[in-house]
Amino acid sequence: MTLQLPKKTTGVLTPVVCSALLLGVLAPVAAHAEDRVAGIEDRTIGFALNSARWSLYQTENGKIECPDGFNEGPRDQFKALYPEGGPVVDTQLERESASRYPLDYEDNFPYRRAVGEVSLGLDLDGQADADDFKAEDGRTGVDNQLFRAIGCTRLFRAPDGTFAHFTNMWVREMNFNRIMFELTDVDSLENDDQVTVTMYRGKDRLMTDATGANIMPGGSVRVDYRFGDRFIHQMKGKIEDGVLTTEPLDVEWPWAVFLQRPGTYTIKDLRMRVKLNSVHAEGYVGGYADIESWYAQLVRSWSTHHSSYGGLSQPSLYRQLYQLADGHPDENGKMTAISSAITVKMTQVFIKHEGMKPEQVASSAE
Amino acid sequence: MRGNNFNVVGLMGAVAICVSWLPSSVHAEGFWSDGTVVEDHRNVPMPAGFRVEHSELDGPVFADESGKTLYYWPQTTMRNGLTGDPKNQSMCTFEKTTHTAGLMSPYPPGLELPELDKRLSCAEVWPPAFAPDDAQPVGAFTLIERKDGSKQWAYDGHALYTSIMDEFPGDVRAATTRTTGGDGPAARKVAAVPPNIPPGFGVISTAMGRQIVTSDNWSVYAFEGDEAGVSNCRGECTETWDPVVAPASARDFGEWSVFERSPGIHQWAFRGQPLYTHVMDSAIKSLEGSDIAGWANVFTQKAPAPPPSFTLQDSPTGVVLADSRGMTIYTYNCADDSVDQLACDFPNTPQAYRLAICGGGKVDRCLHDWPYVVAAEDEVSTNRTWTILEIDPKTGHFAEPGQEDALRVWAYLGSPVYTHYRDKRPGDMIGHANGEFGGSRNGFKTFILRDDFYNNAG
Repeated sequence: MTLQLPKKTTGVLTPVVCSALLLGVLAPVAAHAEDRVAGIEDRTIGFALNSARWSLYQTENGKIECPDGFNEGPRDQFKALYPEGGPVVDTQLERESASRYPLDYEDNFPYRRAVGEVSLGLDLDGQADADDFKAEDGRTGVDNQLFRAIGCTRLFRAPDGTFAHFTNMWVREMNFNRIMFELTDVDSLENDDQVTVTMYRGKDRLMTDATGANIMPGGSVRVDYRFGDRFIHQMKGKIEDGVLTTEPLDVEWPWAVFLQRPGTYTIKDLRMRVKLNSVHAEGYVGGYADIESWYAQLVRSWSTHHSSYGGLSQPSLYRQLYQLADGHPDENGKMTAISSAITVKMTQVFIKHEGMKPEQVASSAE
Repeated sequence: MRGNNFNVVGLMGAVAICVSWLPSSVHAEGFWSDGTVVEDHRNVPMPAGFRVEHSELDGPVFADESGKTLYYWPQTTMRNGLTGDPKNQSMCTFEKTTHTAGLMSPYPPGLELPELDKRLSCAEVWPPAFAPDDAQPVGAFTLIERKDGSKQWAYDGHALYTSIMDEFPGDVRAATTRTTGGDGPAARKVAAVPPNIPPGFGVISTAMGRQIVTSDNWSVYAFEGDEAGVSNCRGECTETWDPVVAPASARDFGEWSVFERSPGIHQWAFRGQPLYTHVMDSAIKSLEGSDIAGWANVFTQKAPAPPPSFTLQDSPTGVVLADSRGMTIYTYNCADDSVDQLACDFPNTPQAYRLAICGGGKVDRCLHDWPYVVAAEDEVSTNRTWTILEIDPKTGHFAEPGQEDALRVWAYLGSPVYTHYRDKRPGDMIGHANGEFGGSRNGFKTFILRDDFYNNAG
């Protein structure tokens, strides 16, 4: 089946076009080669993120990766620390302080890290160390110490952990998180030894089908050059056997959770590895998450109340992040970043460059 | 009191307050209120002695005989129960609460509140608007009987109070227009006088001013290419801008007028300027349309100007207020977890809450991580919204008169504002939402003037 996408598509589609696009979604990712170039216009194709989760290898009830069970959270710790209650200042406010200044307080609560040999993610350093994981597809040297830190905390586990659920939902629903990747200089989506990948933040909703539940390819999304300028990053990449990989680059990644709490992550040496065709892409982005910004983003977006739903003690986790940190040492040799990966899915979109000339785009990316 | 058919101030502002977005200048002419144009309101019957005061941020408000703004405390569903006043009742008494109520998850009830020796009762912080024994209902103003048998005025069934935080007529410090968010405290609200607007419109308080919107909160705009009562937006223009049509029965009144834009099609105008909505606005209350040259949002009155040294900066979410270096300005928001939900974000309230968030209880760290915004020696306040306070940096309370190490700091609605040490470049807002429930209950929030993503502004 050959799918001819419309050259320009706005948010309103005719039933005929919608039907055609729906067929495109239903088409398997590994479609015929001629399908994969259908979405390319002027050697350019765009994708918008529609799903993102911190990559955690999960088995049923954590029987492999969390053999000792899951972590306890703020309610449990509060009860243990202050069984008789007490003044607000010495109880509630002490815990609110501890989330922001965790090293001010002792933390003797047991912490359950994820264990095992298997994880999701990417090899970030080109080495297969003792702490590294194997991927389910046989790749070795997978760096994802963040998985060890949060893999046994229910909040982060999909599909029921509230962090996993809501953060992913808001990737789709909040324009603040409208991450897009535009591939330029593309000759083939099967094999191309040099493409340019530019990350943008868009400012429009993604097009859905009539149910509103399914993201459709072929929508148009305008680039947010003004408020999203700090999210414009440009990477060199290549496509081999339909898999796009990019060279590492430090990026700011917008990922707000909850209404009214815009936020970003600082991820160093971020690179992509996604399998793609003309309508869909999925795989991993991996990099070293700057611990201070990662933790600050967690604390300010996820209140103690919400953390209580999933057994997340922020002060306990903070220590783990530094104990497991494996990247970007400071001048004293202390690691400041932790290897991580995000499992992503993307849908083809037409990226609209309104109000900016090509040379300005390049300048912004720099 | 002003009538509802003729308005002197409205005539002074013969041209609607239309402000295009000028992010490069915080002090562009017309961007902020100069105090000469205020919002018109309906002529509402009031009890003897009550009056209308014009607040800088919330427009016309009901006030008692001394000019103090009247507030009400609507019953609010918290995480663990209800608090506030049910209609026709007052739950705000002279009995001092001593322990938390556990309304805000995840902490249990029964924790001892700070500084009990200085703590006031709800009714001492929020003096009830008592009525004489022989008082009679007037219009929407009714009477309720308090638990001690005394009578209290109510408006639309809501018991009325003043606030000890307000000092001058028109002050609205106690409720504030700061967005508290879904998990914020059970906040008091200003008893606002209904604006004099036609059906189908609304007026909302934002950090930019009193913004005119449609009844379902879509922004309305005016076009500088129009003339009084004449629309020059025709043809292709109307593909982007929808005229706000008026029913055939609509008539001119107050600052509002109706004109026939084409045979049988009538359009609303405010202070002479035809009104439109912007078809590309992606959210309600948007300011996006004012990015288009010649077009501007419409306000009944603009907010007062921030301090002269402040700047505007683009951030990832929109335009934020910043200090002279471009560093983002934050407000601190706090209410305790007592059944009274008393404020803890003023200099004369307990500082333990703020110190816990800004420095883990350590004063020096607070001063480093969340420094006050110190006013320059030659800076003075020109309005009641932005004032300069003398603060004792060691305690966070008001400084003693003549105290040598006192800081002169800028305050918004009577509460100091801050910057954050992690912000390194203009537009950074890393401190935003730092605190419980995204900074709504005990924490810091960015001072956002325009938010294209969340309606955070205001």
